[in-house]
Amino acid sequence: MNARWVGQDVPRVDGLEKVTGAARYTADVKLPRMLHAKVVRSPHPHARVRAVDLGKAARAPGVRAVASGQDFPFHVGIYLKDQTVFATDRVRFVGDAVAAVAAETPEAAEEAAALVEVEYEPLPALLDVRQGILPGAVLVHPQLGSYQKVPWITPEAGTNICNHLKVRKGDYEAALRGAAHVSENTFVVPQVQHVPMEVHVSAARVDLAGKLEVLTSAQSPFTVRHLLCACFNLSHGDVRVSVPQVGGGFGGKAGINLEPIATALALKIPGRWVRLLIDRAEEFYAAVVRQGLVATLVTGVDRQGKVVAQKMHYLWDCGAYGGYGVNVVRAAGYTCGGAYEFPNVCGDSIGVYTNRPVGSAYRGFGMQEIHWALEQQMDMVAHELGQDPVEFRLRNCLGPGKRTVTGQVLDEHAGRVDKCIHKVAEAFRRPLEEKPGLLRGRGLACAVKAPAMPNDAASSVLLKFCEDGVLEVLVSGIDYGQGLRTVAAQFAAEALGLPLHQIRVRNLPDTDLSPYDWQTVASRQTWATGNAVLKAAEKCKAQFFEMASQVLHAPVERLALEGGQVVDRGGQGSVPLTRMVMGYQFPDGHTIGGPVAAAAHHVPEGLLFLDPDTSQSAKPVAKWTFGAQGLEISVDPGTGQIQVDRVVACYDVGKVVNPGLIRGQTFGGVVQGLGTGLMEELKVDALTGRVRNASLVDYKIPTSEDLPGELEAHFVETPQADGPLGARGIGEHTMIPTPAALANALFDACGVRILDMPLTAEKVLRALQAKRAKE
Amino acid sequence: MLRRFEYTQARSVEEALALWQGSPDSRYLAGGTDLIPRARATGRAPARLVDVKAVPELDQVRALPDGGLSIGAAASVARVATAPEVRQRFPVLATCCQALGSYPLRQRATVAGNICNASPCADTAAALLDLDAVVVASGPRGVRRVSIHELFVGPGQTSLERGELVTAIELPAASAGARGQLGRLTRRQGVDIATVAVLVTVLPAGSLRHRVALLSVSPTPMRVAEAENLLDQKGPDGAAEAAAIARAACRPIDDVRGSASYRRDMVGVLLERAVHALAAERGGRGA
Ligand SMILES: Cc1cc2nc3c(=O)[nH]c(=O)nc-3n(C[C@H](O)[C@H](O)[C@H](O)COP(=O)(O)OP(=O)(O)OC[C@H]3O[C@@H](n4cnc5c(N)ncnc54)[C@H](O)[C@@H]3O)c2cc1C
Repeated sequence: MNARWVGQDVPRVDGLEKVTGAARYTADVKLPRMLHAKVVRSPHPHARVRAVDLGKAARAPGVRAVASGQDFPFHVGIYLKDQTVFATDRVRFVGDAVAAVAAETPEAAEEAAALVEVEYEPLPALLDVRQGILPGAVLVHPQLGSYQKVPWITPEAGTNICNHLKVRKGDYEAALRGAAHVSENTFVVPQVQHVPMEVHVSAARVDLAGKLEVLTSAQSPFTVRHLLCACFNLSHGDVRVSVPQVGGGFGGKAGINLEPIATALALKIPGRWVRLLIDRAEEFYAAVVRQGLVATLVTGVDRQGKVVAQKMHYLWDCGAYGGYGVNVVRAAGYTCGGAYEFPNVCGDSIGVYTNRPVGSAYRGFGMQEIHWALEQQMDMVAHELGQDPVEFRLRNCLGPGKRTVTGQVLDEHAGRVDKCIHKVAEAFRRPLEEKPGLLRGRGLACAVKAPAMPNDAASSVLLKFCEDGVLEVLVSGIDYGQGLRTVAAQFAAEALGLPLHQIRVRNLPDTDLSPYDWQTVASRQTWATGNAVLKAAEKCKAQFFEMASQVLHAPVERLALEGGQVVDRGGQGSVPLTRMVMGYQFPDGHTIGGPVAAAAHHVPEGLLFLDPDTSQSAKPVAKWTFGAQGLEISVDPGTGQIQVDRVVACYDVGKVVNPGLIRGQTFGGVVQGLGTGLMEELKVDALTGRVRNASLVDYKIPTSEDLPGELEAHFVETPQADGPLGARGIGEHTMIPTPAALANALFDACGVRILDMPLTAEKVLRALQAKRAKE
Repeated sequence: MLRRFEYTQARSVEEALALWQGSPDSRYLAGGTDLIPRARATGRAPARLVDVKAVPELDQVRALPDGGLSIGAAASVARVATAPEVRQRFPVLATCCQALGSYPLRQRATVAGNICNASPCADTAAALLDLDAVVVASGPRGVRRVSIHELFVGPGQTSLERGELVTAIELPAASAGARGQLGRLTRRQGVDIATVAVLVTVLPAGSLRHRVALLSVSPTPMRVAEAENLLDQKGPDGAAEAAAIARAACRPIDDVRGSASYRRDMVGVLLERAVHALAAERGGRGA
């Protein structure tokens, strides 16, 4: 197809709405007679709940409903149902929900919440993931063996391990014995927060006929409905979940979050809307966070500089609940080797409960964390061998014909990390200018990620024409800035030859009205929804052709769609689409066809489960997106501060659907990556389990003033066989390699290695001082 | 959560004082950028807020007959940072104002609020300490003039008496023309409280007297007289020695922004750099 719309730098279709403030977010929606909810949260990291007395709170002024674990001892969780709506027998982190109240005003709710009396019996807390796997460790979930789960995760009853994925390929032990050089290092990544502009907010109402309606800031309306039904034992027919505009999610609004608490309160007071809007502090300690990681890598290389043996031991700090996090653990397992071909592999990805904030999905789904380890390790080994890190990577990287850690042989459609490395290395040929008083350096890191989703994760769409020929495209993925609405419009315009202004993407998904979509996660929307739009467009086209064939007395094979008309390529005739969108009426009045509309879906094809003992699988995931980033930095040897001067990013995206949007994704990802690389860390007090920096004063993320001096985005286009016009996912990948590239640049600049993220000025300075002391 | 409070607005200093007296738990409100977030975070609000922004005389930045400058308590940080009198004659204060918070924040925040809040990291305090400012306060017992050096008592604590309203901050004529260098270390480039800040100021040509102020390394913003004396004697050659003195004089703590030992080290590094930058600047101007 000679693309006219796909590949063009068209502006966002929802840009005007967002910049004018017309866009409505959940908290903007004025709900009639709405009550305000407040959650009572545990002050203890680990305690038995002896008693919860709601009496005083229930009698407080303005209070309309109270609820606790006694009323709703129901389990919830997307992959592992290890959490209850409210704590029942014990609390597992500072912030665990114990009870909630709904009142006429936020103030009344807060005052009443303070009147809830909870009797705790504090228990020893597990706050360090490394201790969680030791014999005799405090058990966070003694009932682990009894929880419901999906078949493809493997919790170990009687331990803190909520999932363990083993990857065994070749003969690691033998290969290691034969290695010419062996290197072992341990890397640490702290828990971090998503920090979306819009905090979590959910509202619920049970109407007097018994129907539950939920309005929520979420990435997955259908999954929220599904999990709510499972939790409260409701029929999907009686639950409606809708999502207004979402002000950022980054994984933190995937799965299910505040919805069960809002629903529990709503069930207590039928007819009233109950809205739970948490505050920024709660967002930091009570909403989900990214999991922490302790990664130990062992690399054995031969004399030529080829890795022959690779061991990867990933210990994930899942926090108090692993409902979603267990799948991060799994994804990190089957991707444990990153962008490289390792012939002999021993990989273990282990999820461990602790009494810390709850881990969950976060842009990259474990990949930035493991790349922090993998990409530094590759650099370290290259330097130990006296080899150029770029050459060393090229010698060992994946590519067509190479085997991943799970034994999948990549084909020619898989994307080319080698080309991305070359592109970055080329940009690096420019000499690094000296800057007085600063140490300059550059570093590179690669990235890979596959979508982590169930094998049947679906996206569906509905296309329907209006009377005037405007095409409505209903999609149920969430567009929180990545540009789904715009690319959906581009694909529809492309397939039907319509101008973009004649297309409206209807995208405030409502499970009562919108087509099914599993979740907006895993960098899957452009790919999955894009495919579904193309398929539905073909079906619309077929309906037009069927009518036109009768109107023009021409066989369907002779028809073509051109400039808003169906044209008979063999004869003279043509019919405008506008004459057919509601069916075609002949001059004598008889009518054929009808309103043109079509539904279609996309489901990944041919995915196969992993072998339970070795994780080998010929096709464990739908696609891989590879890339590389190079960073040039300046280090201040007096303060340890790092200034990022230049970032060069290159990804093999199959097809650039929209150059402006993909640049935006790349720059945004890089800056988010710099945030985690340079400054972000949830500081959890080692004694009390409290988050010490639960505010935007104390937890910093980058602002526009932290943008690198130069940012370049390059793209390779090796078409994805099952991608819409060859496109594959990119949303998460842009932040995966950034911290590792930063650490490698730091080493290049001043010869120090820091293995625990983030690279704060203080750590850099101390490392420099330690190095000077040794010299 | 922000608790309910009574909001009142004064039109004159007298009215402000009277409104304050009218409730047992009153607070003056300027930009509110410290007061309101704190009330929200702690869940405790004063019973009554007395807004002083509408008092006309508090809004002025004006030259004093003796060559000094008076900054009204309701003048915003942005206004002070850009006022020609400040930029030309007291550029050190403009520099510190410019370092505070973000563009929108500076439109609301006031210099008076910054020092009355008495945080160890109050940016404008560094300039006011170096320039020997005087705080003018009106209270139930009349008007008082308090040296900035006597204002700060501890974190969040000043020597102002109950009910005293700061009406103006005065910069003495003797400080006019002073030049300074601010070294300010933050975790990110913009909108961050200083992990450490060091302001080194040289009083106008002729005297070449030094001033050294430190932020975020002791319970209050502080000056280091001993380091100043040394710089007065040795000039830039004394930078390293002055740095050592300042490192010893400060009393930093560990917190989420940085450790005490890192802060102490940075006091030295920033001080030396500021001294050399000042010398280079003077050299460049041929003074
Ligand atoms: C996002 C953000 C970033 C910030 N960044 C910085 C920063 O980088 N550096 C920094 O120093 N500060 C920073 N601050 C803190 C704050 O903005 C400043 O301290 C500001 O100058 C306070 O002034 P205000 O007018 O808002 O004071 P207010 O909040 O109105 O008052 C502060 C205190 O002073 C009292 N007060 C005010 N005026 C008077 C008066 N005339 N007489 C007696 N008492 C009075 C009040 O009762 C209150 O106790 C930041 C704040 C925020 C919200």
